[in-house]
Amino acid sequence: MLKLKNVTKKFGELIAVNNLSFQVEKGRIFGIAGPNGAGKSTVYNLITGMYSCLGRIEFEGHDITGAPPHKIARLGISRTFQIPHIFPSMSVEQSIGVGNRFGAGGRYEPGYVNNIISILNLETVRHQGAGELNLLGKKKLMMGAALATRPKILLLDEPMAGSNTTEIMALMELIRKINKDMGISIIIIEHFMKVLTELTDTLLIIEAGTEICCGDPEKVTSNPIVIETYLGEAYAQSNQS
Amino acid sequence: MNWKNMAAIMAAIYGIMAMLPFFLGKTNFVMHILIMCLIWAVVASCWDLIMGFAGIFSFGQVAFFVIGAYASAIVSNTYHVSPAGAILLAGGFTAAVGILVGLPCLRLKGAYVALVTFAVHMTLEPLLKGDFGRAIGTGGSRGIMAIAPLKLFGVTFSSADPVPFFYLTLIFFIICTLIILFVIKSYWGTAFVALKDSENLAASLGISAFKYKLTVFALTSFITGLAGGFYCHYVGMLSHRLLGVDLFVTLMVMLAIGGIGHYPGAIIGAFITVTLNELLAPLGTYRPLIIGILIILLVLLFPDGIIGLVQKVFTSKADKATKPVY
Ligand SMILES: Nc1ncnc2c1ncn2[C@@H]1O[C@H](COP(=O)(O)OP(=O)(O)OP(=O)(O)O)[C@@H](O)[C@H]1O
Ligand SMILES: [Mg+2]
Repeated sequence: MLKLKNVTKKFGELIAVNNLSFQVEKGRIFGIAGPNGAGKSTVYNLITGMYSCLGRIEFEGHDITGAPPHKIARLGISRTFQIPHIFPSMSVEQSIGVGNRFGAGGRYEPGYVNNIISILNLETVRHQGAGELNLLGKKKLMMGAALATRPKILLLDEPMAGSNTTEIMALMELIRKINKDMGISIIIIEHFMKVLTELTDTLLIIEAGTEICCGDPEKVTSNPIVIETYLGEAYAQSNQS
Repeated sequence: MNWKNMAAIMAAIYGIMAMLPFFLGKTNFVMHILIMCLIWAVVASCWDLIMGFAGIFSFGQVAFFVIGAYASAIVSNTYHVSPAGAILLAGGFTAAVGILVGLPCLRLKGAYVALVTFAVHMTLEPLLKGDFGRAIGTGGSRGIMAIAPLKLFGVTFSSADPVPFFYLTLIFFIICTLIILFVIKSYWGTAFVALKDSENLAASLGISAFKYKLTVFALTSFITGLAGGFYCHYVGMLSHRLLGVDLFVTLMVMLAIGGIGHYPGAIIGAFITVTLNELLAPLGTYRPLIIGILIILLVLLFPDGIIGLVQKVFTSKADKATKPVY
């Protein structure tokens, strides 16, 4: 449903994304990993129209290259940000309502907003100011607002970063639920390899904006080049033992 | 603030204003102050909408007012359009200018928007005074004299008999301030606040910064232009002195007193400021000094203005009631 063809992004001299092509199938969970500064978040910014780029991006057969972010959101591509973005002047419920009103659904449905709030377990804080939430709360709120847009595909940028093991387990459960029960395709950027191998159907590893390897997560994580450039020997050994 | 409180405050303001001529209608000087209160309240409300709610630091508010005033005066004096028609045309013209000013501002952030919009303010004075101005009928540095008074349904609303003009202005004021209230409380207002809070997040949720920011420029400059038109046909003359620092600062004081982003605080701020300005007039050169000191005290002591102060008093009471005691 989402296709990138020879996409390149330069920031001056720096090539952040280098001739990257990949495809995400409907209903799947697609993972992206790679070292810091590999260009993962930049890929999201290209897909969601935050930056212009070379190459071609297609969504459900339509060319969306160069379309403005709000149009892309209304087509059904929704995202979270690596650093929490929130609306400090709004409550949790209002923030989620914004996604609902302006997103792909295009109208405010209180029932749907309630549903999102309960899926994300935000009932107790629904009337709290978005700025008062802790890091996990803010990340969940971002997911909630993104989900409220009624997306066809959801792009998550390091949703687990800064969470403990229990929280990670809960987030994985949540992501599965969003994928299976709500029928939303997902792309997830994450550093926790275990999360990616358990969760995703396809895994893409990039380094310096270039694809290293893409395919079945088990195969990708045992690929020698991936181990050398990203995972390191320690990971490979810990997995064997 | 919620709907109900806002509407209650505004209804009280409308009611009190409508009653005042029964007590003060005989004193032209007082009626003049009240009319100015209403006109400036509209201008200050527009500024609060674009700056306080949409978070766009537009410093072109006085410029838009002056553009509206001059446009209306020129259209009615030079082209003999009826003043009512001239005011509407002036509103439309000012909205067009507002959109033109808004376009470059879409790409800019915070302080740069203030610079661009204030640059419009700065260029306006030489433009009105110079050859270009004289050619289009601004009267150069002398300004425009003898602007026709407003006539509607055969009634002339002149400044010599201010009570009818007061009620006309009151209707204008009510319509404009209600429009602003509805905008703030509708999904438009939500979009403005979302864009102010985080433009990237807002865009990723489907809000078009282009559409909503241009709309707020168009709407606020349209209403401000109408207010300028109203003003010129009431006062009967215009000069570029309106663009001096005095008026600009006065308008800022209105917002500071009312509380930026605390609508309808701007309305109350405008009433207080206009009245205070007139009451302090006998002090002559000491007036700016006293006003300056008042501003400093106000901003330091009550950064959210009157409405913020009232809210604080009420919410802290409510908080005390709901917070558990250990
Ligand atoms: N707006 C920008 N202007 C200039 N350079 C940028 C910009 N955004 C990203 N970069 C650069 O592009 C490269 C890729 O950045 P990106 O944020 O996509 O990395 P990442 O893979 O998400 O890293 P991390 O794991 O740290 O989040 C980095 O070198 C970064 O400094
Ligand atoms: Mg990143």
